[in-house]
Order: sequence, then C-alpha cells, then structure tokens
Amino acid sequence: MPRLWKIAIALLAVLAFAALLTFPSLLRSVLGLRRADRTEEQARRAIVPPISTPTDTREKAQLFWLSPTSPDTLEPTAVELDLSADVEKRAKQLITALIESPPSQTQRTLPADAVLLQFYLMSDGTGIADFSETLDTETPSGILNEEIAVDSIVRTLGANLSNVYRLRILIRGQEADTLAGHLDLSGFFNVTPQAQAQPAATGVANGERPLAASPLNASPSPEQQPAIRN
Amino acid sequence: MLTVVLDPAHGGADFGARGPTGLAESDVVLDFARAARIALEAQRLRVLLTREGNQDPTFDARSTMINGLTNAIFISLHVSSSGPVGTVRTYYYLFPTNVTPAVNPAVGAPPQTATPQTSGAQLTRASLIQWDQAQRSSVDSSRQLAFLVQTVLVQRFKGSPDAPIAAPVRQLRTIKGPAIAIELSSIDVTDAKRLDQMAQPLAEAIGRAVAEFHPLSAAPTTPSGAH
Repeated sequence: MPRLWKIAIALLAVLAFAALLTFPSLLRSVLGLRRADRTEEQARRAIVPPISTPTDTREKAQLFWLSPTSPDTLEPTAVELDLSADVEKRAKQLITALIESPPSQTQRTLPADAVLLQFYLMSDGTGIADFSETLDTETPSGILNEEIAVDSIVRTLGANLSNVYRLRILIRGQEADTLAGHLDLSGFFNVTPQAQAQPAATGVANGERPLAASPLNASPSPEQQPAIRN
Repeated sequence: MLTVVLDPAHGGADFGARGPTGLAESDVVLDFARAARIALEAQRLRVLLTREGNQDPTFDARSTMINGLTNAIFISLHVSSSGPVGTVRTYYYLFPTNVTPAVNPAVGAPPQTATPQTSGAQLTRASLIQWDQAQRSSVDSSRQLAFLVQTVLVQRFKGSPDAPIAAPVRQLRTIKGPAIAIELSSIDVTDAKRLDQMAQPLAEAIGRAVAEFHPLSAAPTTPSGAH
C-alpha cells in the first residue's frame, strides 16, 4: 500500500475517533437547545403558581371542547374542578383547565403551550384575558380554527360565570390585531352568562350559533340588550 | 358596472395554513381566485385581484383596492387548517350590539355607562367613514351577499353549513361595501388534487351568486349606516 494511502487512512481514523468522542456532547447540546425552546412556556407556567384560593370548592363546571364526533363543533363537557368564589380567579381556573385538560388532543381548542397570564374583571362586566404569545403563534391558522378557539373560551366563561358579559383578549398585555391572522381581536366578544343563556347551544358549523366570537360595537342600544342572539 | 375584488389571502412570507405535504394556503387561494376571475369575467364583470402573485399586501392595502370604488364587492378567499374536507363556509362581519349588565354583582356596584369600545364608530362628517369601522355601513348588504353565496355553495359542497356565519374576520372590518370571506376545508389533505377539484365549482358558485346579487348599499351616502 502506498505511503500516502496509509497517511490518509490514519488521518481518517483519527477524525472518526474525534467525531466519536465529540458526538455525544454535540447531541446533548442539540437536545438541550430543543428543550430550551419548550421550557420557556413551561418556566412561565412554573412561575405562575397553581391557582387555588381559600374559597375553592369542588364543583362541576362545563367546559367547551371540540366534539369527538363532529370536529368543527363545540360541545360542553362536565368536569369537576376546584373553583374559587373570586370571579377573576375562577375565570383563570376555568380557562387554564380548558387549555390543560381536554379529554383528548383531537378535542383541543387552545394550544397546549398557551398560558393565561392574567384575567381581570372590570366594573362593567368586561373580562380581560391576557394570554402568552403562544396563543397567537400556536393556534392553527384559519377563520374556523380561530373562531373555535375564541368560542370555546367565551362559552366556557358564559356557562360558569354569571357576571362576565364581554371579553377582551390581549396577547402579553398588548392589543393584538388578530388571533392567528384572521379573527379580529380589536374589539370585545359577547359572553352569554349562564342565567341568560339560550337553550341548546349549537355548533360552529351550522351557522346558527350565538355570535360569541364577535366584537361589540360602540353604539349602546338599550332596546337591543342583552343583544346576545342565537 | 359591478367590480368584484377577489382577495386571495396571505402571500409572500405569510403562507397561511400549511398542509402535511407542504401545500400552502397562499398558493391554493391564488388558484381559486384566478378560476373565479374567469367565471366572473365571463359575465362581463370587472374583476380585480388584491394580489396577482406571491405578494403579501397588508389588510389596509387590500381594503384600499375596493374602498376607492363605487358599486364593488369584496370576496376574500381562505383555506382552513382543519375541518371536514370538501366543505365551505361563508363569513360576513357583524358588529353586535353592546352588552351591559344591569347590575354587576361581582364588584358590588352598578355599572357605569358602557364605555365606547371603539371611537371609530363615530362619524365625524356625513361624508366620512372611519376607516377602521368602514364595514359598518355595509353590514346588511354583506349579509345578503353571504347568504346568496352560501346558498349556492351548499348545493355544490355537501356537508357545508346551510347559512353563512357572522364572525369578526379582520380583513372585512375595513371594507366599505359588501364584503365576505369564503373558507374552504381544508389544507389538511395529502393529495392536492382534492383541493384543485374544488376550484371550478367554487368559481361557478361565486359567479352565480354574484350574478344574483344586487348591491343595495355598495356606495353608502349617509352616515346612518353605522348600526
């Protein structure tokens, strides 16, 4: 064998050995970076303590996820939750359960990594839900998908709270133009409190559902109140 | 002459929804718009597209194309990420009325007068319409157009809802004139032909519905259009 070949083979062997030595640490670094992406939201969740209050009681709540049989329709599911007497904390518990506890992944309406950072209730019955940016970036693009996401929040609040009449959605404390490119977040969304709810909430697809995911206008019209149409 | 502004959504770096094989909503809706243009031009209507290629005009840039016209309608085309494949939904923008509780027991105090949510609703002059609320003056005609379109679509795309859906689709809010969004389901197909096959029936349905539509308030002249 020529000497040049021997040198080349020796060089290759050295390189292969070096690669073998460095590969595990390289792999660890890549996996570590991948994990770092995931942990930003997880870290945020960790910062936010589990929502529990002294007034928590175990109650049955109605949460709206996608129907397993009709994937573009929302349906209520009875879930036992520890719910606070404080409206803001109760709303936060409900929305957090909506994100974290769907019966199955196919019934999910909100991204798994979305975090409700804060919920405020104003004196006029306006609820303000401040979400992490993952609500914007991880919600599947499309009018239908975005409408389902907002509707599931609106209907869940309406079914379990009697004093939230409209909802404003913020992303990291800021007003957002759209949810994921389609649904207008510049206005408020009607919430139908349980006491006023019309019977038989219908699916998104049938075109007769309440106009939950619709911003309110600026012209109060007493004769049209409560103005939640089915 | 009626002008139809067709709006293939997304474009440029904004692909919209993506299919499992990489199919981009922005490409599919552009094909749909081109097919619809042929069907509409066959009826001797003037047709404009908000983008002819892979550009990504802003919401306002798209609105500008129609807001300077009289006797024009706007149709935005979309494909959803999911939903029953082969179905179509038509949307129109609706500004529901304000909701103010008589008493808000949560805070133990009677509510204040409802805060104006969007000052843009106020028309400062009879001839001016606030840009960000431009659709207010055309809600009824948009709903009428949406019903016509969905009625035709449901005949061609079985399983679609019978009626259009009122939803706050951002693009529609700044359109002065009848404006609807049509969303087909879905990009979640492995065979792009399934979507290709929808282009022609969609174009024909749009053509037929537009032919039946008589825009009553395409060019509103009074501020009382704000509901």
